[in-house]
Amino acid sequence: MMPPVKTSYRDRTQEFLSVAERLKKSFSSTNNVASSSSGSSTKADATRSAVAIQSEFNKRASKIGLGIHQTSQKLAKLAKLAKRTSVFDDPTLEIQELTTVIKQDITVLNSAVVDLQLLCSSQNESGNISSDTTTHSTTVVDNLKNRLMTATKEFKEVLTMRTENLKVHENRRQLFSSTASKDSSNPFVRQRPLASRTAANASQAPPPPWANGSVSSSQLFTSKQTDVESQPLLQQQEQQQQMVPLQDSYMQSRAEALRNVESTIHELSNIFTQLATMVSQQGELAIRIDENMDETLSNVEGAQGQLVRVYKKNALETYISLSFSCSRCVICILALEITNAKHGVVHHDSDRVSLLGDDEGLQA
Amino acid sequence: MALNLRQKQTECIIRMLNLNQPLNATGTANEEIYKILIYDKFCQNILSPLIHVKDLRKHGVTLYFLIDKDRKPVHDVPAVYFVQPSQVNVQRIVADASRSLYDSLHLNFSSSIPRPLLEDLASGTLNSESIDKILKVHDQYLEFVTLEHNLFSLAQKSCYVQLNDPSAGDREIEEIVEKVASGLFCVLATLAVVPVIRCPSGGPAEMVASVLDQKLRDHLLSKNNLFTEGGGFASSFQRPVLCIFDRNFELSVGIQHDFRYLPLVHDVLGLRLNRLSVPGEKGGMRSYELDSSDPFWVANGSLEFPEVAVEIETQLNKGKGTKMDKLRFAIIYLICSESINPSEVEAIETSLRESEVDTCAFQYVKKMKSLNVSLASSNSASRSNIVDWAEKLYGQSISAVTAGVKNLLSSDRQLALTRIVEALMEGRPNPDVDSYLVFDPRAPKSGSGTSGSHLKGPFKEAIVFMIGGGNYMEYGSLQEFAQRQQPVKHVIYGTTEILTGIEFVEQLTVLGQKMGLGSTVASPAPTL
Repeated sequence: MMPPVKTSYRDRTQEFLSVAERLKKSFSSTNNVASSSSGSSTKADATRSAVAIQSEFNKRASKIGLGIHQTSQKLAKLAKLAKRTSVFDDPTLEIQELTTVIKQDITVLNSAVVDLQLLCSSQNESGNISSDTTTHSTTVVDNLKNRLMTATKEFKEVLTMRTENLKVHENRRQLFSSTASKDSSNPFVRQRPLASRTAANASQAPPPPWANGSVSSSQLFTSKQTDVESQPLLQQQEQQQQMVPLQDSYMQSRAEALRNVESTIHELSNIFTQLATMVSQQGELAIRIDENMDETLSNVEGAQGQLVRVYKKNALETYISLSFSCSRCVICILALEITNAKHGVVHHDSDRVSLLGDDEGLQA
Repeated sequence: MALNLRQKQTECIIRMLNLNQPLNATGTANEEIYKILIYDKFCQNILSPLIHVKDLRKHGVTLYFLIDKDRKPVHDVPAVYFVQPSQVNVQRIVADASRSLYDSLHLNFSSSIPRPLLEDLASGTLNSESIDKILKVHDQYLEFVTLEHNLFSLAQKSCYVQLNDPSAGDREIEEIVEKVASGLFCVLATLAVVPVIRCPSGGPAEMVASVLDQKLRDHLLSKNNLFTEGGGFASSFQRPVLCIFDRNFELSVGIQHDFRYLPLVHDVLGLRLNRLSVPGEKGGMRSYELDSSDPFWVANGSLEFPEVAVEIETQLNKGKGTKMDKLRFAIIYLICSESINPSEVEAIETSLRESEVDTCAFQYVKKMKSLNVSLASSNSASRSNIVDWAEKLYGQSISAVTAGVKNLLSSDRQLALTRIVEALMEGRPNPDVDSYLVFDPRAPKSGSGTSGSHLKGPFKEAIVFMIGGGNYMEYGSLQEFAQRQQPVKHVIYGTTEILTGIEFVEQLTVLGQKMGLGSTVASPAPTL
């Protein structure tokens, strides 16, 4: 019940510093102060360059970390918007803007992470840093990749939900617009023809029997939908003429929205697979800190063996993929993957492997 | 104000990992800092059951090392130290600082660092001109190992032997008592409660209680103390009762087997720090982690269950009638007999010798029993256990054990410890507990805590502490009791160390040897 703000620890720093201050005075009264200062300054020189490299790395890493954090916040906002299921109170424009921003964010962050990884491996190759530093930097890069991957996955999920919502709306709309459609594979393919057909037949077409028969029952039924949606049914004869052009542009924007979302999902799948090489991290999720590290290492090695197999199997595919795309230019790959687009496919082995190449260089 | 020790300690550790900075709503630090974590063996044991590598990553820890490992410099990265305040550790820290291994050192001691060590740290880093590397020095009051929400161990080894060692002087005893009391102080500081303390008079329990009482009093004198926030609400929130016991209060529980799952796993398979290692099919060891995050542990439903149950069965089959089992049975028989029939005891001893069992532990208990009648906690509960136990040793197939686990669980077997805790929490006049001492660290010293009805309860929450080795059987019994109450009560169980029956008998054996109670067999202590 009580907030966990209590302080069950004590800060002894001040006490420590005052002890040190007192000791310093007694030292200086007995010793010559200047005796050892020169020695320490040369030591400082030696480490200075290493420190400088490391701080550049840290600066970039924390910048990326902050970027991911901010993107996650935007993502939360987008998720909230996309959860709205109402048809007419649909913040399409806002969603589109936000989607574009987040997509850009993720693309930029992705290349920043790749750059950081390059910096990291070039540092490691330079050889004048400690093995612990190497592990530290690698872990930082892995951590950032992992977080970015989580954000990308979330983004994809939000967009998938959005697509589903749009489709559900569309199917619902179909129910009220017409029963004539035959090619029902993709609701958007027949959008405009359908709308115009309705316009042409508007004057002669008999109203649907359930709308005609009893007003009360149709009200009962449509009350589940939004109010606005029920209008054309109730006042069909009078308003049909005005409704159609309105509906047409609405459909157009809807179809466009859906296409946007689907293409974005597809682009994400590339980034996602680029990031999906967190072998060591995925292996250690449930590890206890007192766990036998040999065991852990063998897990990681096992997983790497698997990846190498994948790599060999897909070597040809990789070659083809690399010849078309400059690896980080995610938009280009879009064209190659149109066949996958419908299914929102996430796996793209060629990219997975191309990043593995980086990882292997790092391990070596 | 539910006392959840595991959650509180985890919160403290997470705060420490975030350089003791306040956390935001999502439970992470506002500013992301990558850092390195360094701990000693003791603190590793504290961290292991609470924090996984995944959690370390979440809080920006990239590397984690034991302090005595050979470590390489990582420049421009802060290091968080979590170690016991010992001379050796302070020297390591000074060495790390002078080698400029890390950008800055955030020191967290598992208990309060004594002033002389703080001075060593200051002079050491001053001498190597690395004092500016030491950015923070914190006392964390976390020197205990939490295994479950309501179970902790101070991880102080062989306490029973040390306290009952006939050759131990006053100073040694005082040192142990001080150590136990400061461990308990850490637990209370983490829970942020000042309890009413109850204990039987005489022996280690009273010594620990009075030292702890004094520690709390001294601490409460300072204005800005660890319990300050609670202070304002102290009257509105009901305080818990801390019941301190000594292992000699009920010796038999430390030796007998139990059929509930957790005690079985601990006793037979050697659960340690919530981790279980059993030989795998292909020769290597397989590890299982068993804690509240394990669905099986909570609901008995995971797929691992049959595997572990079969393992228990085979172990039991193997272990059926070993030397150790015979010895444990003999000791329990001895403890639970109301009067000692010399010829019977003689017969048991002879039969033990015939099976080449080291009788030191048996001899020790016999001696204790003749000296101290209170050892004979001959309640019906222990008796019914003996029946189970005898059946198991000499009766039919053991495979009935796994099948019958459920039945055994439901049988009502309340331990003496649970009975007393129940009486202490109830707070009604009860001849069993009326002689128990009361300490109230918040009360003025003069009254010595005899007055004041609030000290007698009833209490909703209790912390039960067993000096000299506890076990999962007592823990389980107390939890059952607490859950049975209307409304449900809350009991935390703690001990100096958690011991299996075998480990405890080994301590008894050591004591028997120290007392010169010879054994005919010169072999080392028998093992399962």
